[in-house]
Amino acid sequence: MNSTDIQIALCGSAGDGTIAAGDILRNAVAAMGYRVICFDVYPPEIRGFGKCISRVRITTEQTYALKRQSDLLVSLDDSHAIPHAGEVRTDGAIVYESKPVGHCPEGSHMSGHILPGQIPYGIPLRELAEKTTGGSRSRNLVVLGVIAGMLGFSPAPFQKIIEKKFAKQGSSVVSRNLAGFQAGYDAGVNTFKLDNVYCVPQEKAASAGQVLMLSGNAAVVQGCMDAELNTFFGYPITPATTIMERLATSLPKRGRRLLQTEDEISAIAATIGAGYTGARAATATSGPGLALMAEMLGLATMAEIPCVIFVSQRGGPSTGMPTKTEQSDLNAALYGSPGDCQRIVIAPTNVEGCYRCAGKAFEMAEKYQTPVIVLLDLYLSNRYETVTLAESGPPFNLNANKPLRRMEAGELYHRYAHSEDGVSPRAVPGDMGCMHVVTGLEHNTLGRPNDSDEVHTAMSRKRHDKLLAALQHPDFTVTKRIGHSGRVKVGILAWGSTFGESLEAMFMAHAQGISCAAMKVVMLSPFPTEAVSAFMDDCDHVLVPEVNYEGQFAHLVQGILARPVVRLSRVPGSPMPVELILGEIRRLAAMV
Amino acid sequence: MTAQVSSSVSSPHRYVIIGNGVAGNQAAERLRERDPEGQITIITNSRMLFYNRYLLPQLFHEHKDWRALLAYPAEYYERQRIRVLRDCWVTSVDSRKRQVMLAHNEAISYDTLLVATGGRPYLPEELVECRHLIHPFGTYEHALAVRKALPENGSVVMLGGDMIGLDLARTLLALHYRVILVTHENTFWPHQPVGEERNQFLAILQKMGIEVVDGEAQGGAIAIEKGASGLPERRVRFRQGGDIYGDVVMSFYGLLPLVEFMMGSGTDIERGLLVGTNLRTSDPHIYAAGDVCQIWSEKDNVYRFYYGHRNVRAMGAVAALNMTGGNEHFSTTQDEALFQNEQGYIDSPFWAYD
Ligand SMILES: Cc1cc2nc3c(=O)[nH]c(=O)nc-3n(C[C@H](O)[C@H](O)[C@H](O)COP(=O)(O)OP(=O)(O)OC[C@H]3O[C@@H](n4cnc5c(N)ncnc54)[C@H](O)[C@@H]3O)c2cc1C
Repeated sequence: MNSTDIQIALCGSAGDGTIAAGDILRNAVAAMGYRVICFDVYPPEIRGFGKCISRVRITTEQTYALKRQSDLLVSLDDSHAIPHAGEVRTDGAIVYESKPVGHCPEGSHMSGHILPGQIPYGIPLRELAEKTTGGSRSRNLVVLGVIAGMLGFSPAPFQKIIEKKFAKQGSSVVSRNLAGFQAGYDAGVNTFKLDNVYCVPQEKAASAGQVLMLSGNAAVVQGCMDAELNTFFGYPITPATTIMERLATSLPKRGRRLLQTEDEISAIAATIGAGYTGARAATATSGPGLALMAEMLGLATMAEIPCVIFVSQRGGPSTGMPTKTEQSDLNAALYGSPGDCQRIVIAPTNVEGCYRCAGKAFEMAEKYQTPVIVLLDLYLSNRYETVTLAESGPPFNLNANKPLRRMEAGELYHRYAHSEDGVSPRAVPGDMGCMHVVTGLEHNTLGRPNDSDEVHTAMSRKRHDKLLAALQHPDFTVTKRIGHSGRVKVGILAWGSTFGESLEAMFMAHAQGISCAAMKVVMLSPFPTEAVSAFMDDCDHVLVPEVNYEGQFAHLVQGILARPVVRLSRVPGSPMPVELILGEIRRLAAMV
Repeated sequence: MTAQVSSSVSSPHRYVIIGNGVAGNQAAERLRERDPEGQITIITNSRMLFYNRYLLPQLFHEHKDWRALLAYPAEYYERQRIRVLRDCWVTSVDSRKRQVMLAHNEAISYDTLLVATGGRPYLPEELVECRHLIHPFGTYEHALAVRKALPENGSVVMLGGDMIGLDLARTLLALHYRVILVTHENTFWPHQPVGEERNQFLAILQKMGIEVVDGEAQGGAIAIEKGASGLPERRVRFRQGGDIYGDVVMSFYGLLPLVEFMMGSGTDIERGLLVGTNLRTSDPHIYAAGDVCQIWSEKDNVYRFYYGHRNVRAMGAVAALNMTGGNEHFSTTQDEALFQNEQGYIDSPFWAYD
């Protein structure tokens, strides 16, 4: 065994510190040089109690998704963790409280739910916490110590992160938590291991840049900051809220502004307004918020105003499932406004992609004078990965605006002048001699209302055609094929976070001797017809896995290319299981 | 055959077995045969599934993963629908409520209970304080620890030397370790040879290469200390003033039944749980089998222990039959004398593994 690939699931109740423990774990192992993917599931904030799970996959090599089965489950609350006992693989470990307080009704303790092939580790977590810290609040730190000790990790990276994390709460909190961790660590080291969950010590790899542990939403924020976002308007909604929360701290530090508006309509209106004035502006929301923004988005398209909208999808429709992931806002993102409402829609497939797409969205919005929707989902927003940022600085072009010519005296400024690439030089209020009309009404090149059929046809074409150039946008991955080259039995066509699961499935299929390739489609509008079509030419079968019921992306592909695809549409509220995709690949590969 | 169970109990019938050893597992297997629908739960304080402790000496020959020692693979328990609660300590039994209390404050209800908790090593009073300097030998983990602590050609001081220890001694000698046996009245436990017969067996041990120290003549071991630098790790001091050194000290003074948790249950206890030859305790819903029970011997007119793999296994089977309405009896008349086998080694009619 010379590589590491383990997944730890920490499960507890809100208030147990489950997510905090997961956070320390992922940061500590990332600091050791491991690659990390993590995903936290927590109860709807609007209720504020219930189950929390933090899953952390720790690997030597780059991986793309969480595993279906965890190697180690930690229970801080058996009532929540028991249903997850079955997710632990054979010879994997389950760590739980061996001395709970009070009476335990029959069947409510973890020990009764551990399968014969799994290894139980009942540890007196509460007792250890109480002995060392005088209270049971540090149980999460104790259990973190237990697993660090059992897995043979050095305690130093954990201690460093614990110190940093609790520094603000004062030295007594820090030392209490360090003591709890140490007590657990000693217990872990002294636990006789019967499972076969091992980590190979990681030599810290010399990386080509700065390695950060970021969630998808944190990466979006980093991308916004590196792209010099100027103004943000937003209204909180799960799972997009943390974008606003993080920007609320970051933007003012650089003298920039964030405003929480009274609702999503105001948020998009203000964003468009700021864009109109030349400010780099954005908002973030989820499906229900996007629905409210639909009308205003039409204005941005019609008035050709740059703005960026981050949409993190959750289970829908309506209020739906606020804390469950889904990819069901694709139709709303593509078409969700009246009229022929062209816009750019891009969907990153991993956390690093969130960073790049965030920055590039501003480039595109300004270059093509259009709203750009960056489509995330809860799984991507909340999942953490190690991300390497280039040392050479942000890879974004901060001068993508088409240069504006100086107006001659008496010359009329044609804000919507037709040009070869469809993009007209954009003036902002205050630009000398560039006074013009901006309206939601159809207009002529001067911006003046005009509803003649010629003008409407020409302007519709302009708004449509100018976006096609985005398919060749510099330094942007519109599509990417991975896996076997040439002709393959099965091609997986995926978008958004499901691409990670697709890649994992593809590599498993390779290991089983199946010829298989995968293509990620990052730009969903305008649609990369040629690249996708060429990929499909190479595949005997094209499989489209996506986390929505209707098969929205499959519809899009079939609608545009009029070619058959095999749909794998599921709405489990969680990421698409890798095994499900693999099963389909195997089925298709076996077909003559 | 399907079980005939009392109609006053729940359906399916809840069989709870405390102990995941030979007796408990044999009983579970037979219970499943007799009652395909019954709910069978084994409770054990061990983290491992049932494995053959007789095989532990093999770990000195070659390192084996513990899974290689398992008597049944994990799937067996799933297939047989036998639930095994591991890493769970039974602290008491409430026979009135028919509940087994676990250390983590959970009560497990039963209709019929089998106590098969075996025994724990007996350690003479004067050595209890030195326990941390003695290497135990009852589990896989213990065996690995001894192996690790023993240097090549190192020496083991065996205090007592019951049958468990003598089995290990044979392996250690074959691997060129030194074995120094300090005799005690429990040498050869559970057998009790006396007088000339005992001397003959000690002579056999010496012939095998075991260095025999007359522990009784030395007044018994009274302390164990860390060896001084340059000497082996451990020093054993005797009451008469003498001492011996070894890299590892192990105690093999026989087993004591693990019955403390049954104290408040209302069942009759002497040293072990008292049962008739049908293995039923004084409580009609509680049975006992294995090293934990004392069985009424008509011949000797006392309650007696019957140790060893063959006996214990038979007890598990008898208990299961009776728990499911049978009327079987454990045979208390058997040949128990130690003898020298064809290979010249000491052998026992019941202390064997097959
Ligand atoms: C190392 C070793 C080697 C041996 N070699 C041989 C041999 O070669 N031949 C031979 O005939 N005999 C041998 N024996 C003896 C033989 O194993 C015993 O007679 C037999 O194991 C007894 O079986 P049992 O089922 O009664 O108890 P055990 O096998 O001791 O099982 C008792 C079970 O009860 C559990 N338990 C105890 N207390 C509690 C509690 N409070 N809560 C929950 N669980 C509890 C224990 O964890 C264990 O699972 C050996 C014993 C040992 C220790």
